[in-house]
Amino acid sequence: MKSKKQQIYKPKPSLPSLVPPWLAGVLSAILPGLGQAFARQIRRGILILFSFATIIGLLVWRFRLAAPRDTGFMNIVNKAIYLQPLLTGITVVVGLLYLANIYDAVKLATIAGKPEKSKPFLIFIMLILAFFLLGWQIGQIDLYTLTTSFGDAGPALSRVLWPWSRAISFPEDTWRGIAVLETPCSDNPPPPTATLEDRPYLVVDPTCGEPTIQQATDNSGVEIIPGTTLEVKGYNFVPGVVVDLWWIDPATSQFRQRQEGQNVNVIPDENGEFTIDIIWPYRIIPPSYREGVSEWELQGRQITNVGDWEFSAEFNLAVEKMVETIFIGMMATFFGIILSLPFSFLAARNLMSANSFMLGIYYLVRLILNIIRSIEPLIWAILAVIIVGLGPWAGIIALTIHSIAALGKLYSEAIESINSGPIEAITATGANWFQIIVYGVIPQVIPPFVSFTIYRWDINIRMSTIIGLVGGGGIGYLLTQWIRVLDYRAAGIAVWFIALTVAILDYVSAAIRERFT
Amino acid sequence: MLEIRNLTKIYEDGTLAVDNVSFTVPDGEFLIVIGLSGSGKSTLLRCINRLIDPTEGEILWNGVDLAKLEGDDLRKARRKIGMIFQHFNLVSRSSVMINILAGRLGYARTWPTLLHQFSKKDREKAWDILRRMDIEDQAMKLARELSGGQQQRVGISRALMQDPEMILADEPVASLDPVLAHSILNYLEKLNKEDKLTIICSLHYLDLVQRYATRVVGLRAGKLVYEGTREDIRKMTDEEFKSIYGEEAERITDGIEGALERSELQ
Ligand SMILES: Nc1ncnc2c1ncn2[C@@H]1O[C@H](COP(=O)(O)OP(=O)(O)OP(=O)(O)O)[C@@H](O)[C@H]1O
Ligand SMILES: [Mg+2]
Repeated sequence: MKSKKQQIYKPKPSLPSLVPPWLAGVLSAILPGLGQAFARQIRRGILILFSFATIIGLLVWRFRLAAPRDTGFMNIVNKAIYLQPLLTGITVVVGLLYLANIYDAVKLATIAGKPEKSKPFLIFIMLILAFFLLGWQIGQIDLYTLTTSFGDAGPALSRVLWPWSRAISFPEDTWRGIAVLETPCSDNPPPPTATLEDRPYLVVDPTCGEPTIQQATDNSGVEIIPGTTLEVKGYNFVPGVVVDLWWIDPATSQFRQRQEGQNVNVIPDENGEFTIDIIWPYRIIPPSYREGVSEWELQGRQITNVGDWEFSAEFNLAVEKMVETIFIGMMATFFGIILSLPFSFLAARNLMSANSFMLGIYYLVRLILNIIRSIEPLIWAILAVIIVGLGPWAGIIALTIHSIAALGKLYSEAIESINSGPIEAITATGANWFQIIVYGVIPQVIPPFVSFTIYRWDINIRMSTIIGLVGGGGIGYLLTQWIRVLDYRAAGIAVWFIALTVAILDYVSAAIRERFT
Repeated sequence: MLEIRNLTKIYEDGTLAVDNVSFTVPDGEFLIVIGLSGSGKSTLLRCINRLIDPTEGEILWNGVDLAKLEGDDLRKARRKIGMIFQHFNLVSRSSVMINILAGRLGYARTWPTLLHQFSKKDREKAWDILRRMDIEDQAMKLARELSGGQQQRVGISRALMQDPEMILADEPVASLDPVLAHSILNYLEKLNKEDKLTIICSLHYLDLVQRYATRVVGLRAGKLVYEGTREDIRKMTDEEFKSIYGEEAERITDGIEGALERSELQ
């Protein structure tokens, strides 16, 4: 009996190998790890076997994925190596790994029974290298694009990093000078525009004519018949500010005058006057508007800044949503505190071990809290959005649920670590459970509770920006929308706000927590 | 009268802390429990007011078996048993007043007390006891701001708020210097003599035992190994004392008198 026990505790390396070194090598060549096992390194053998099998499996899978439409072994290999040169490297490493495995078995069988010799570790280096390269290939790691595409990303990045030109805007006003034309010319064409005193106007000569016409020719080409050339004169415009020429066709749709592929514009002289010749453009007009004489309107439009700068709409929206975000975090923390408090007392072992019924409740509450906590707030947000729709309310619900679980755990741990002496003393006075909580537990847990709560508030505000990405309201929602429409400057404003808020919050929460510890 | 019969406590981890202990304590006794560290003194005291549930045995107090009580009956019984502790066990972040009023929790209605509301009578009682304990001017301080001796007096005040018939004191002076130890035990003696409270107290020092005990029980490894009257203890030599205690036992240097004289000289 005694000798048996001793045998069990004898250090294993002192036993000699079951097979000679060369045979161990051959065995490992047949099945990686087998030789090691026979050299009395069973666990090492199993580890090598499973690692090797995993690596081979992954490698085959990656080859297959790299050349999904090819058939035949050689075709797949050639195509895959052509598309993914790294696979060659991995294959070489796996080959070396195989050799290292044989070497390992031989070496182990040689030194088995000689505990003073240290075991070779080359095999483990090869294993790590193989997994690393596979990870590189699976992760599609590409340092080349990371470094080279920096240049292309530059403009967008610089907009995100310094977005402030988008934060302000100037109130604008549009000046319009108008002239009315008719087509085709009738017996009484419209009179030239009347002179106006202090508002811009256009005078066009002639006041009637023909638009440009495009029509199909016999040999399926397009024949263009230019319309009437119009001499446009502008008066009373703001000197030096660009005037764009716009048409409003009989169907009241607006379009700009284009010539030679460019929008036509003109800059008025110091008197606010200009003259320009244009050709009446081509336009597809619905048939119902083409009957009889139809009216076209030519406009000269000038956009001028009036008044001082003001915050842009984007800036104001970012402020509004940032505030919303902070309050999402705050309300979630608030609800989280209220709802997690009862749970935290039920999940504190030192308060719940009086009898087996209470202990049962303790385990149940713990289990529920753990399950809730293991689900990410992002997922709660997606569920909440399904139920209550997009917006801050969904974000509040998601963060509240997560806060209940997180705070419940932290609170209950704070309760579990309190000094049991005062509780003992209060119990000894004949107080009941609620009185013990109020007199013995609460005074002790207030400092850690305050600290955890502030910390949670901090986390909730950070998280509410993330929650916004899936529709949970706040600035995160805005940020995703701006990124989708490629408005990088506006997105940059949002990013800046988030960063500033988080930094300030970090500081404030650290300061408050310091006070309570 | 308290009668302990065949009391045994085995902790969940299998530790046998109190082993088949029986003794009786007539009303009005000042019983001192002695024994080495780990001999089961605290466990024994805590079994009496059921802070620890005994594994076996009976604790008959005025004919009622405390070991069998549950829920409200247990709380009602606890009200009549005050307890003071080596480390005072005050709620350090609450005021002295609240700590003392906590002694009244077993009597007061639950809902008002959850909002820290106590009856006028209870408050007046608290002030009376504060005066009696000579810590009136500390009432509004936080418990942790008090000195050790003051804290223990708050502990006693809390026990007195219960209108107790019996006081359990688990090494009430072990964290105090000899002079303070003396003054605290004096309070307990006064309660014992004047208010006729039964006192069960665990102690370490032979001097204090000899001076205050009217009866002594000794524990060793959970077993009752000594029982004696006031006279028996007075006659007890250091050697006998050590036979209960083992070699670790010691007197306070120069005895209590010596310590008192020294403090008066300074
Ligand atoms: N909660 C517990 N769980 C398990 N064993 C315990 C527990 N409390 C005490 N014990 C053990 O029970 C025995 C008696 O402990 P107890 O605290 O009653 O001794 P004591 O005489 O009060 O010692 P001291 O003079 O150091 O306070 C010791 O061996 C101790 O380790
Ligand atoms: Mg003890």
